[in-house]
Amino acid sequence: MKKQNNLNNTQNPGQIHDIGIKRGAGRLSREKIASVLEKLIETEGGARLSAYINTCVHCGLCSDACHHYLSRGCDPRFSPAGKVKQTVSTILAKKGKVSPEFIKRTCEIAFTECNLCRRCQLYCPFGIDISYLMLFIRRACHLLGVVPQYIQDTAHSHSATMNQMWVRDDEWIDTLQWQEEEARDEIPDLRIPIDKQGADIFYSVIGPEPKFRPQLIYQMAVIMHAAGADWTLPSAPGWDNSDMCMYTGDVEMTARLKKVHFEAAIGLKNKRIVMGECGHAFRSVYDVGNRLLGWKMPPLPTVHAISFYSELLEEGRIEIDHKFERPVTFHDPCNIVRGRGLHETARYIINRVCKTFIELEPNREHNFCCGAGGGVINCGPPFKTKRVESNKVKADQLAAAREKGAEVVIAPCHNCHGGLEEIIEHYELGMELMFLSDILYECIKKK
Amino acid sequence: MAALKSNILRLLVVFLVLAACAAAARAYVTIVEDSAFDDRQMRPQVSFEHNEHNEKAGIESCNTCHHFYENGEKRKNSDSVGMECSSCHYKAESGELELIRIYHKQCKSCHLQKEQGPVQCGQCHRKTGENP
Amino acid sequence: MHAIYELAGGFLVWAALVIFAGGTVIRMAWLAATARKKDAAVFHYFSFYYALRSILHWIVPFASRNMRLHPVMTAVTFIFHLCLIITPIFAAAHVILIAESWGGGWWYLPDAAADIMTLTVILGCVFFLIRRISKKDVRYLSTAGDYILLVIVAAPFLSGYWSYHQWSGFEIAGIVHMLSGELLLICIPFTRLFHMILFPFTRGYAGSEFGGMRSARDW
Repeated sequence: MKKQNNLNNTQNPGQIHDIGIKRGAGRLSREKIASVLEKLIETEGGARLSAYINTCVHCGLCSDACHHYLSRGCDPRFSPAGKVKQTVSTILAKKGKVSPEFIKRTCEIAFTECNLCRRCQLYCPFGIDISYLMLFIRRACHLLGVVPQYIQDTAHSHSATMNQMWVRDDEWIDTLQWQEEEARDEIPDLRIPIDKQGADIFYSVIGPEPKFRPQLIYQMAVIMHAAGADWTLPSAPGWDNSDMCMYTGDVEMTARLKKVHFEAAIGLKNKRIVMGECGHAFRSVYDVGNRLLGWKMPPLPTVHAISFYSELLEEGRIEIDHKFERPVTFHDPCNIVRGRGLHETARYIINRVCKTFIELEPNREHNFCCGAGGGVINCGPPFKTKRVESNKVKADQLAAAREKGAEVVIAPCHNCHGGLEEIIEHYELGMELMFLSDILYECIKKK
Repeated sequence: MAALKSNILRLLVVFLVLAACAAAARAYVTIVEDSAFDDRQMRPQVSFEHNEHNEKAGIESCNTCHHFYENGEKRKNSDSVGMECSSCHYKAESGELELIRIYHKQCKSCHLQKEQGPVQCGQCHRKTGENP
Repeated sequence: MHAIYELAGGFLVWAALVIFAGGTVIRMAWLAATARKKDAAVFHYFSFYYALRSILHWIVPFASRNMRLHPVMTAVTFIFHLCLIITPIFAAAHVILIAESWGGGWWYLPDAAADIMTLTVILGCVFFLIRRISKKDVRYLSTAGDYILLVIVAAPFLSGYWSYHQWSGFEIAGIVHMLSGELLLICIPFTRLFHMILFPFTRGYAGSEFGGMRSARDW
């Protein structure tokens, strides 16, 4: 324990000023912490928690899986098991009797030093799910009211508006109509159908799309139009498939959000849900939300945009007009590769559409996380430097692909875009970042 | 002179005969052997000073160890001196393990009962060949 | 000496076996009951096919990427665990003792092989100890319990080796061998050694979620 404290003091932990963490912890007392944690352990700390914590033989084989660890000169505090040691293990050993200072540090570790990318689960011989353990800690932080301010703000937005970005209902419809209008300049008979009963496809996006990247809705409309798809978006809440509450430990809200999302599709009698190019949203709908709502699998077929594009290409519903010229590389997002096995599907699309494809090493299930996922980038600007420093290994990986000629990085995930953007800028890699829909929009025959 | 010589000779003969009788009565054994054990004996053979052991242990009757059974009953007045243990206790189908078992049982069960004598592997199967 | 020998070779063997088996059953039953109550989804997602697929990739040497990244550790771990489990079950002396006590018995290793395997386990423990101390991340994770556990595992092998080679005081080593072996058995359900029992479950569950739900490989 002494050694651990020494280590903690030699480097920056706790120096980052986050008002959510600071004020939250300021309201706590040891008694309050103990009572909350004891109750949490009693009600939610089950067999998985016990099995994971007690099976770990402290072998350190997970270390090399973690980009935080590798990027920070193999600092042991950043190894997956090291983070467990500093957080869950200590809390369990002390039966929740820890100080507010400890909670501050714990919160910072769980929210900003782990992306819940699950890569370490592929490196642990026992398959210990460290993202589960970190989520358990985030749950504790949520119950204690100690959450980084920026991500808590998105969670507040979720509870108030059912979307992540404080988008008002009229703004959402406005944005769709605006994008339809824009697109009709290019393709006069294009429509963005709203609330179409019985449409084949219920298309949902994440809150940041209407807020910051409306062109993605535009591009998807063009692809849908070219494919002659029978699709729709809902006007009412439920259009946002994203979910930061899943990452703040607010499982009650996660369940509500997913329920609204599923019900929007079911209410419109749509046959299946196609989700935009986002990873965490897919995890929340396909893997997490369904469980919280008591479904083993989502109540109606739910696919990620990658699966949808590949289906259109395979069935010949969209055609390639010309191949994408610049050499591309592909970043496998954790939530749809380790989370859904879409790596080969993505490669199928890339090989169909792009002239030169250069692999990142390692790739597929073994790709390194972007450093933004798991709500880490949503913790906002206070942690930006920490984020880019924590993912030097990603910069090296991208630089190696650039050496082989790659100019464009394709990442079919919003969070990955956020993370990779920071890395490309900070490490001056000079690579361009694109979604698959950017490439498809550029290369397909528009009808 | 001749008488003296023949007396010595007679004495010698008597001595040899007596010695032979003694040997026949209490064979002077120093090692546990059984032809049924195959060649791949893993542990060193057990040295066993027959007479010393019996003196120390106060064993008078041969059939305390060299027991003889007939129809499942131990015969009080018979013994199995001169027979190998394997001639009764070894069945080819039960293998060597059974033979090892009964040899161990023979020594160990008594040693444990009397709380004297060797019981651990290395105490009998000495690498140096010495008796404990 | 005879009294200790009889105790260690009789009652304590039974006690160790009962505690080991009972502890294992109780702990597994507790885990299953708790899972029913708090992690019911586990049972729904568990898939034998994907569990087995994952387990296979982690019990075949070098079948997972991480094993290939650490070839020395992988080789040592596999050989260590094999020897650790096979040696006590098939050591000639153990089989003979079982035959003496209960009759029966089974195939046993030539002493020379058991000797080398025992030495392998001891050297494996030394390797793990050195690794624990010298690798920064592993040292950071290590608790006093981890070191004690290493000693508990090494003890019966070291004392067995000592006793077999009849170095001075081997009679005491023999007793230590029996007692430490029993201690090791008792420790399994109550310490991290329980990973021996839990491995197929945690790995299998990871494999089930990755394979069954996420269509991804977890090795």
